[in-house]
Amino acid sequence: MLPLLQNNENPGVPHVSRLPAKIFIKTHFDICSGCGLCQLACSERLHGGYNPHLALLHIRHTCENLYHFPTVCNQCQNAYCANVCPVSAIGRDAATGALVVDHAKCVGCNLCHRYCPLHIVGVDPQLKKSVKCDLCGGAPACVAACPTGALELAMCIEHPEQEEKT
Amino acid sequence: MATSYMERLLWVDLSSRTFRVSQPPPWMQAAFVGGKGYGARMLHDLTPAGLDPLAPACPLMFLTGPLTATAAPSMRACVVTKSPLTGTFLDSYFGGRFGPEIKYAGYDGIIITGRSETPVYLWINDDGVVLRPAQTIWGMDALAANASIKKDLSEPGAMVVTIGQGGENRVPFALISCEYNRQAGRGGAGAVMGAKNLKGVAIKGSKVVKVHDLSAFKSACGQAHDAIADSETCRTLTYGGTSTSVAWASEAGVLPVRNYADQVDPKADRLGDKGQYKHLFLGKAACFGCPIRCSQMGAVRTGKYAHQVTDIVEYESAALMGSNLEIHDVRAVAHLIKLCDAYGIDSMSAGGVIGFAFEAAQKGIIEAPAGIRLDFGSVQGAQYLLRAMALQEDELGRLLSRGVKRASEILGRETDHFAMHVKGLESPAWGPRGTPGMGLAYMTGDRGGCHQRGFMINYEVGGKTYAGRPVEAHSLEGKARILKGEQDYLAGTDALVKCDFGAYGITPEIYARLLTAATGRQVQADFFSELGERIWNQARLFNLREGFQPEDDRLPRRFVEEPLPSGPHKGQCISETDMARMRADYYQVRGWDQQGRPTRHCLEKLGLDGMERMQFPVEPSQKNAFEGSLDKNATRERCKE
Repeated sequence: MLPLLQNNENPGVPHVSRLPAKIFIKTHFDICSGCGLCQLACSERLHGGYNPHLALLHIRHTCENLYHFPTVCNQCQNAYCANVCPVSAIGRDAATGALVVDHAKCVGCNLCHRYCPLHIVGVDPQLKKSVKCDLCGGAPACVAACPTGALELAMCIEHPEQEEKT
Repeated sequence: MATSYMERLLWVDLSSRTFRVSQPPPWMQAAFVGGKGYGARMLHDLTPAGLDPLAPACPLMFLTGPLTATAAPSMRACVVTKSPLTGTFLDSYFGGRFGPEIKYAGYDGIIITGRSETPVYLWINDDGVVLRPAQTIWGMDALAANASIKKDLSEPGAMVVTIGQGGENRVPFALISCEYNRQAGRGGAGAVMGAKNLKGVAIKGSKVVKVHDLSAFKSACGQAHDAIADSETCRTLTYGGTSTSVAWASEAGVLPVRNYADQVDPKADRLGDKGQYKHLFLGKAACFGCPIRCSQMGAVRTGKYAHQVTDIVEYESAALMGSNLEIHDVRAVAHLIKLCDAYGIDSMSAGGVIGFAFEAAQKGIIEAPAGIRLDFGSVQGAQYLLRAMALQEDELGRLLSRGVKRASEILGRETDHFAMHVKGLESPAWGPRGTPGMGLAYMTGDRGGCHQRGFMINYEVGGKTYAGRPVEAHSLEGKARILKGEQDYLAGTDALVKCDFGAYGITPEIYARLLTAATGRQVQADFFSELGERIWNQARLFNLREGFQPEDDRLPRRFVEEPLPSGPHKGQCISETDMARMRADYYQVRGWDQQGRPTRHCLEKLGLDGMERMQFPVEPSQKNAFEGSLDKNATRERCKE
């Protein structure tokens, strides 16, 4: 097993584990209807109310509303959000491997948003802290709310941690 | 305590370039709830009798309801104004994503009055309200204008409504195109917007819509989703939207054919789900928060009209622009509907007008311009007329763009026999001969002949029972009472604002639970019929004030004088005697006098007697915000590509 816990490419950058998440959300744009029920569920969990703009996943409607592209947090192995965080507030959840924000550390600088390739993490205007998808601790509300199966919960079957155990 | 109301109305006056914000008065919220209810009361109170709908003083209202923008499935919003087509109260509903955004920006509704000196669009966001110049967008079609406004604002995520050339030119059946390509279609709200020199409204907001009791609300939402999933009708709508109704309506003998000369079309299949699955459908699109996804998106990819992206050719359009015009190539029909969407004119009224024009041309009453064939089956003729009407290109276009009622009044020569409208609103695509209850619904619809104000077809040929018994199609007996129940319930739930399709699954009990959990107001299942009766009477009071008489509650002559030539209802018509009988029954079950006026007793019972009046707000105006800057919120800044 390679020493994945080290940032071999750029040892000077503060970093988090490069282990992939154990679970992740797979999106299927071909069956997404763009209804936004996922975003309603997400904003409900985050804010106890509704607004799709505050949800931690996006939908892009293209080609005159013919196609709908859901975008979820990639739970990157090379996490730009965590790489740029000046206070190392973004780390991995032990149970799911998801990248999560420690609000006690977050200073609300929004660098994570600026350098996230998907612009899907960032400071919430109401909470004044960075928010991002934490996979709801393993049972994502968006996946449960999706009426078409366009969001699917997937497991990483060859996760290095599991290999290590065997 | 949290509530799903935003408790704020935004008032914009385009003449003085000012806006105000006020709280909806508690009495109005209590009595009218939202959506259609707010609209019915405010239109009545804010306008003087006889106001020209295209005058600056006429309010154009975008209204949400207490369930709009929440997780309650299948909700919409509405536009309410006075119709330039009919002169009646007008409420027009739209799905899509614009309605919820009104609440995310912090408002329950937007009331627009006045007229800008030059074309403008309105931009509403967290920072305030801004008027932006629209000279360069004026003249664009409705869909191109949507893209241009987003580009102008550098806000691809803004929700936008626009008008096309039809609205700019004040065509009385012009529509408002709502994010994205959903229409506030009927009755000419787009002309009211055009008369204000208002090309569009763009909104984006980050307010959270809360509910009173989140746990109860989530549970009620779960029940609503289950009810939709269990509904066979909702599943059919998921499969093919309303396209499956085309073949069904022909079999049931209610499909308009050749300007309603007949109600059976052997080629109906080509226009329905069969034809559309073959030639158009590729995927599905849903309105915000709706699991049904009735909209079947697709493209014309073969033949003369390739290539263009198409929305579903829904039933009303397939029938009125298809079988009604004897056009059976669904790709051609999709092309014509797309033209309507782009020009921003109602495809239902447009289909009715073209049917009228084809028949008038056949009878030698109007003459086709050189090189144009005005006759049933002519796609080229239909396309010519759409353009001529929307762009006001020639005398024939200008005449017909006034709608079949006025065009027929100008042409004379017995054209009123086949001018298919009620109170000026072109007939929907459910021929009523053989289903007199549907005819009565048209006669008494608050915005004129409308199929969404009591869909009696479900009872008369659709097998739906009333009080446990089947309903005899051709009979007049008891139809008024069934219709009253339908009208009241629909009007009550249009205050929420519900979608008619979700309502096939969601029961009154579930709507009551949703409303209670969202607002804290304790209501039961019977609440909506009572609310709806108040709203219906309020709209009736408006129409009576505008001078409508019992003789306006009638059907066009063809339905009355011309028995059907074929089909399951062969020989049927709805005679003057039939109409008189149903009208009298209806007034009686409504508690109205013989002149169709709500009695004092009726108004007292509904609390409409001596009620307070809604007034324009007295809060100080905020003028400078219109000149406010469009600087972006710094926290939203992104890494430049």
